[in-house]
Amino acid sequence: MLLDVRGETCPYPMQKVMDALETLPKGEELEVLLDHPPAIETIKWLAARRGFAVEVETIGSSEWRLRLRRREEVVA
Amino acid sequence: MAKPIAQPFAQPAFRAHPQTLAGLLVLAATAAVILTVSRRDPEFGVFAALGLGFGVALQRSRFCFNAAFRDLWQFRSGRTMKGVIVGMSVATVGFGIHMYTLLPNPSLGVVAPEAHATPLSLALVVGGLLFGIGMVVAGGCVSGSIYRMAEGYVASWVSFAGIMGGLLLAAHTWNWWWEHFIRDAPVVWFPRYLGYGGAVALTLAGLLGTYLLVLWIESRGGPDIREAAQPEPVETFGARVRALVHAVVGRGWPVAVGGIVVGLLNVFSYDVHMPWRVVGEMSRWASGFGSLVGLAPGPLQGTEELAACTLTVGGGLLTHGLVLNVGLFGGSLLAALAAHEFKVRVPRNRVRYLQSAAGGLAMGYGAAIALGCTVGAFFSAIPSLALNGWVFAVALAGGAFLGLQVIRRIP
Repeated sequence: MLLDVRGETCPYPMQKVMDALETLPKGEELEVLLDHPPAIETIKWLAARRGFAVEVETIGSSEWRLRLRRREEVVA
Repeated sequence: MAKPIAQPFAQPAFRAHPQTLAGLLVLAATAAVILTVSRRDPEFGVFAALGLGFGVALQRSRFCFNAAFRDLWQFRSGRTMKGVIVGMSVATVGFGIHMYTLLPNPSLGVVAPEAHATPLSLALVVGGLLFGIGMVVAGGCVSGSIYRMAEGYVASWVSFAGIMGGLLLAAHTWNWWWEHFIRDAPVVWFPRYLGYGGAVALTLAGLLGTYLLVLWIESRGGPDIREAAQPEPVETFGARVRALVHAVVGRGWPVAVGGIVVGLLNVFSYDVHMPWRVVGEMSRWASGFGSLVGLAPGPLQGTEELAACTLTVGGGLLTHGLVLNVGLFGGSLLAALAAHEFKVRVPRNRVRYLQSAAGGLAMGYGAAIALGCTVGAFFSAIPSLALNGWVFAVALAGGAFLGLQVIRRIP
């Protein structure tokens, strides 16, 4: 599932990610594109609370891709 | 198989990235500005440098007063508020010592010069509520809007225009608020009753209590799970230097580090001239703009009797506030470029422009009648050992709650 929140600032990126996690089917990954760096730390923290692991990748100048997966689904 | 995932902000600090080069140009321009204003008055040079420091620290640590209040309600997260509390604790001690040197005997009925002790009136409460609603709806407070403008957020420029409009509107209604509420309201400055030691102790106890309250709010939001850090091996001298540079300019700072730096800068600011302020100066720009378009506010009553961020009309070209605000903008731009985080960000949802303008208007008006924004009436007021900072904080929290109800209805 892909969520593109580029152009959005706080609190919309976090809120939209949290809403998407609620409905994310089991076994699926949520991919988030964003360009608002303060949201990254908050999303990592909020996702951890809900049992998700977050991987962050810089995909360009001031753009990031986050991959959120349920902790138990992450292959070590 | 997913491809390897890079660590956040893991770009090499020394690569000749275009933003790094632009950052070096901004650094040179900033140094030139500081040297120029220093010739006029050395204090202006110091204030420009302090502004630069505020801008760097705010940008690096994402020190956002709006998030501090809003996230408590929205996500039961106190991460930012804890940093803010740490910053105010540092400033409380520093301000206490400085005010003692300014006014050794605080029991005489006067307040230490430049301390942000203001009347406890309905205007303070209404202003705080309006400001709290406005910052959540706009997505940033006044200082936040300025540092985001420098990072390339187009909506923050709209917020800024809204704030200026709110300040101008407030200047036209100021005398009503002054006559009905502010003029006869009491000022409660703790050192007058408790001495400096008692007032500092009381304020620190209040901040500790607030910190515990934040922890309690967090505890109701679920477990706090910390990701284990994965330190990369650092061996050589070069690698150690690169790691240091990356920690300072590449990665975001922990918000508590930002709080300590901003708190210390606030103490230095007061030591040199006055506590950190933002909107008093902006009201000067707003009334100047009003004069240009035939909307000049008339004489403002009582502003000379008040401390903190009073509405201001006229004055010379160069002021402490001007160099401080411009420095803040420059510092944030510099930090954003160094971290390769500058980007012209245009909201895709047009409603965001309306939110920024309306939120800005509410913030400008609220800050004018409350005699300050999240900086002057809160972050510099609580360390001024004055009750008005606490009253404004409660009103801000209430406003942030109301603002959250508004944005929950705007997808």
